[in-house]
Amino acid sequence: MTAVPLRLTVNGQRREIADVPDPERLLDTLRWRLQLKGTKEGCRSGDCGACTVLVDGRSCLSCLTLAREVDGASVTTIEAGPEEALVARVRAAFEAAGALQCGYCTPGFVMAVAGLFHERGTAAPRAELLEGLGGNLCRCTGYAAIVRAVDLLRTGGP
Amino acid sequence: MTAFDLVVPATAEEAIAALQTLGPGEAAPLAGGTDLLLDVDEGRLAPRRLVSLRRLPWRTLDWNGDTLTVGSTLPLRSLEDDPLVRTKYPGLYEAVRNVGSVALRHRATLGGNLVRAAPASDLIPILLALDAEVDLVGPHGDRRVPVDRFVQASRRTDLQPGELVRSVRFPEARPSDFLWQRVRPANDISQVVVAVAFSPAGRFWRVAVGGVSPRPTLLLDAAAALGSGRPDAEAIRRAALSAAAGAPFVTDRRASEEYRRRLVATLLERTVSSVARARGFPA
Amino acid sequence: MTAAVRPDAGIKLAGTAVFGTDLDVPGMLWAAFVPAPIAHGRLRTLDLRAARALPGVTVVGPEDLAKLLGTGERDLERPLFADGEIVYRNQPLAVVAAPSAVEARAAVAAVKVEVDPLPIISDLETVFPEWPGSDVDGNPQVAAHVRARHGKVEAEFRGADRVISETYRTASVHQVPLEPHACVAEIRGDVWYVRTSTQSPFGVREDAASLLGVPESAIVVDGTWVGGGFGGKGSSFLEPYALLLARASGRPVRFALGYREEFRLGRTTLPAVVRMETAVKDGRIRARRVRLLLDVGTSLPGRDFATGYSIGFLLGPYRTETFEVEGYAVRTHKPPFGPHRAPFAPQCAFVVESHLDHVAREMNLDPEEFRASHLWKEGEATLLGQTVGPFGISAAFERARATARTWRAEAPPGHGVGIGCGFWSTSTGAGGEVRLRLDPQRLTVVEGEREIGSGSVIAGLAAVAVRVTGLPRDRVTIEYGSTAVAPFDSGVYGSRTLGALGRAIEEAAVRLRRTLAERLGARGQAELSVERGEIYAEAGERRAAITLLLTPEEQAAGGLVAEGRHTAPPRSIDEDRVLAGSFYPYTDFTGAAHVAEVSVDPETGAVRVERYAAFHDAGTVVDPGAAQAQVEGGVAMGLGAALTEEAIWSEDGRLTNAGLLDYRIPTLGEIPPITVEFLEGFPGAGPFGAKGLGEPPIVPVPATVAIATRAACGAHVTELPLSAERVARALKLL
Repeated sequence: MTAVPLRLTVNGQRREIADVPDPERLLDTLRWRLQLKGTKEGCRSGDCGACTVLVDGRSCLSCLTLAREVDGASVTTIEAGPEEALVARVRAAFEAAGALQCGYCTPGFVMAVAGLFHERGTAAPRAELLEGLGGNLCRCTGYAAIVRAVDLLRTGGP
Repeated sequence: MTAFDLVVPATAEEAIAALQTLGPGEAAPLAGGTDLLLDVDEGRLAPRRLVSLRRLPWRTLDWNGDTLTVGSTLPLRSLEDDPLVRTKYPGLYEAVRNVGSVALRHRATLGGNLVRAAPASDLIPILLALDAEVDLVGPHGDRRVPVDRFVQASRRTDLQPGELVRSVRFPEARPSDFLWQRVRPANDISQVVVAVAFSPAGRFWRVAVGGVSPRPTLLLDAAAALGSGRPDAEAIRRAALSAAAGAPFVTDRRASEEYRRRLVATLLERTVSSVARARGFPA
Repeated sequence: MTAAVRPDAGIKLAGTAVFGTDLDVPGMLWAAFVPAPIAHGRLRTLDLRAARALPGVTVVGPEDLAKLLGTGERDLERPLFADGEIVYRNQPLAVVAAPSAVEARAAVAAVKVEVDPLPIISDLETVFPEWPGSDVDGNPQVAAHVRARHGKVEAEFRGADRVISETYRTASVHQVPLEPHACVAEIRGDVWYVRTSTQSPFGVREDAASLLGVPESAIVVDGTWVGGGFGGKGSSFLEPYALLLARASGRPVRFALGYREEFRLGRTTLPAVVRMETAVKDGRIRARRVRLLLDVGTSLPGRDFATGYSIGFLLGPYRTETFEVEGYAVRTHKPPFGPHRAPFAPQCAFVVESHLDHVAREMNLDPEEFRASHLWKEGEATLLGQTVGPFGISAAFERARATARTWRAEAPPGHGVGIGCGFWSTSTGAGGEVRLRLDPQRLTVVEGEREIGSGSVIAGLAAVAVRVTGLPRDRVTIEYGSTAVAPFDSGVYGSRTLGALGRAIEEAAVRLRRTLAERLGARGQAELSVERGEIYAEAGERRAAITLLLTPEEQAAGGLVAEGRHTAPPRSIDEDRVLAGSFYPYTDFTGAAHVAEVSVDPETGAVRVERYAAFHDAGTVVDPGAAQAQVEGGVAMGLGAALTEEAIWSEDGRLTNAGLLDYRIPTLGEIPPITVEFLEGFPGAGPFGAKGLGEPPIVPVPATVAIATRAACGAHVTELPLSAERVARALKLL
């Protein structure tokens, strides 16, 4: 057990988290220690993408990431405030396109889309963006409305 | 999930020492962790210590005009994003960009994939086709081993106690291609993987398959059938038949042996055709 | 095309909606099952002592039940733990609760289990390598046997021009909601309280009561937001165990399944074998025989719902005056068969559509014309002699044919276009009630169904409330309440929400508006409107703000309340047709015809769906955005069942692909563009003629893909899913 507190900047706020055991996943640190339940627990095996957050701007499967391995990093979750402009825009696009039903995959999708736009820019080819979402599963929407949300973002909306 | 402790050494020497202070198999190196942590969660591995490689200076990509050297802890996404890889080693680019998902590739590494030596690894076949070599550091010094010798069997490599993969070296840029067949196109484990490459300097083909047997393999007869340049349709067919007739092929829940043979033949024809037809194929 | 407007989008996009897996109560313990290590055996030893001795751990095993259970009547046929005999792998032997997930796993590992193996019946073929003979009754592996017939079956078969017989096989598929089952239970004084991710809070209450021997009034079930149900969260599962652990430990207890457990313990569609025989004369179907072997896992004898219900879907929406159908529910060592979205109906549609397409081809008849000419018309009779109500299947089929003609003309070589259709009947359940509460600012619909994601509540019911009151949407609030405070409703399943609660809202609205009219001294129903931020009622010559029409008691209680209730009318069937077992009467007739254009890789057999169109008779569509969303989602789920989803069981009763990597649901890149069109003019029993839409979209999908695949390359695949290897074999590539 490492006695040193874990340091993360979460949604712009610097946090020092004590007593984080070495095997703990970033997903569980966010949900159970920081009470940020927006990031969801799905398969816990890296196959569904529900646990996706951004670490230093890049999408990350928080269920397969040791919290201590990202010590010092900047983490962005679905709870990010309006100062995270890209995340806010993605949220707005999802709302405008009605791109959710049960909502369980939604935080992971929003972060995955934000991560892709961050990495590739909003002018990235459509095929590349859509292919980049192959790691996020949705069982309710059939993805159609999510694709419409992405198209809305690509064309400068919402 | 077993309890393990995590150490984060700053140098290769510290990492090697950390691996060796416990008994055999009790400490494991941690790169991206996308396979390792699952193995731990599901009880396939029970290390008492994980030795993180994240501080080591191995997230590198170097091209010296002839040879590409990829640091073992470089995230696959960085490999995928590098335009040099895409142009000089197109087969490697195709293989890397089809591993898992984007988020997974932000953490998964070439070193991790190689050391795990999974039968259906999407990366080992292209490494074989490119005659890649593994640069190892360890308690008894450094050594270089061709991937073909390094990967020995399913989940078994030549990695010795205390050794780490520092980098993977690609001695020659080669026209190359990679195709997989899966149940679904994204985020899946392949039923069959075929990787082919042509050496401009040596004027020979390399054909490698994965997913069909416990160990990804070079198919020497199929490669020989392709000749020393641009093969004609007949040569491609002969190579495909030779590849399909190779042994052993497994039947499992993803595909039967017969279907795998058919896939190997088809994927070989397609990859070779695509490489041979590409602009820049050496005359 | 309208985007679905989702009032719940805000909190879901902010990450503040609380799902079952998010429940977090101070001091709560984490629960886990002690699972049976084999699929069939005698439990010789279950030693819980070491586990009990671990710090902070509570264990509930068979020996603890006597002091924990209630004294009321209990359902003894469904023991909470394996009762000496283990009948499926991972069957609960006991449960533990500990201060953390890691400690709960350690407690489970500390339990000593010894079993004496018994022979494992892992699949249908083990029980019936050949079709059952007349000696089948009394076979302990047969949980149900249903049989029905009508007309002179033998004579028609003897006199036919041709009899075409085929055998089909369909695979087990899972619901795969992204959120696993999860709940938190607490004992609060005399109340057994549980918050849970469920489609049916009242169903959980009823089920928990009968499993725990406790009166329903002592149990309170509160629903959370639900991360997908699709039939798998329609009744209790973890809740009774969580409640027992809460009682034993005196602490709140969280019970959530890991995702592999979701697969291993899931109660869902299981494999089936179907024999179809069709007698054709003069180009018409003269008679049909259907035999169904359905794997029902460890379902109890006499409790099977699936077999009698599925038989009708195997006849399909086709005129069949002369038929004989027979079905067997076969017990194997797997968890019991449970409801999926449109349980087993997509598999049935695949069988009947593929078969009739094949029959037509064998007879050199146009396959689409053949099916179209046999489709039910309103007034005709079903399998059980019920009369088909307003039903747009023929109109949908005609729209599909027009699209198919266009697509065929445009399709490149190697592509094929096919049509599949399917029908559905909304479930009735035990009915539902609502209360409407009108205050000066808004109308609140108080009801007991959670919005599980489909929009049926938050969009559908709200749309009904808007229509029946004339108030704008932003003045209507859906107020969900726990079983302690909300009016009763059966739950969200069977596409019943609009029909059941929608009607109840209509009834309540009529009462509300009549009461307001009376208070205005007029007859009939008052009209409602909004002016300067307040709600007004108008009737006869008078108009007044609601605030002036409420009594002091109503002011204090929050508004004027009117109740409404709906129970489905009883459905009668022609009992003379039933020779054995129980069948499933239909209520509303809703259906669809779908079109797919597919391409098939001629060397690998891989099928790719290039584009898709769905023509649905959903009666009156009350919320177009939500309706579109349901079809898009249902088609995607159906594509999974068509092409990639298959739960594979080993000979020793183990689910070999229990995970989201090896059990493949479709990813974004696999879904083609989908056009959706609704055909109105065939009203249903729901409000304004609405019909339920949660399940119909999935039903035709595997059939449509299969028929398009055959059109593309000639491969006639008689098994689901249409994996590349199966298509390759049908193409004789191997």
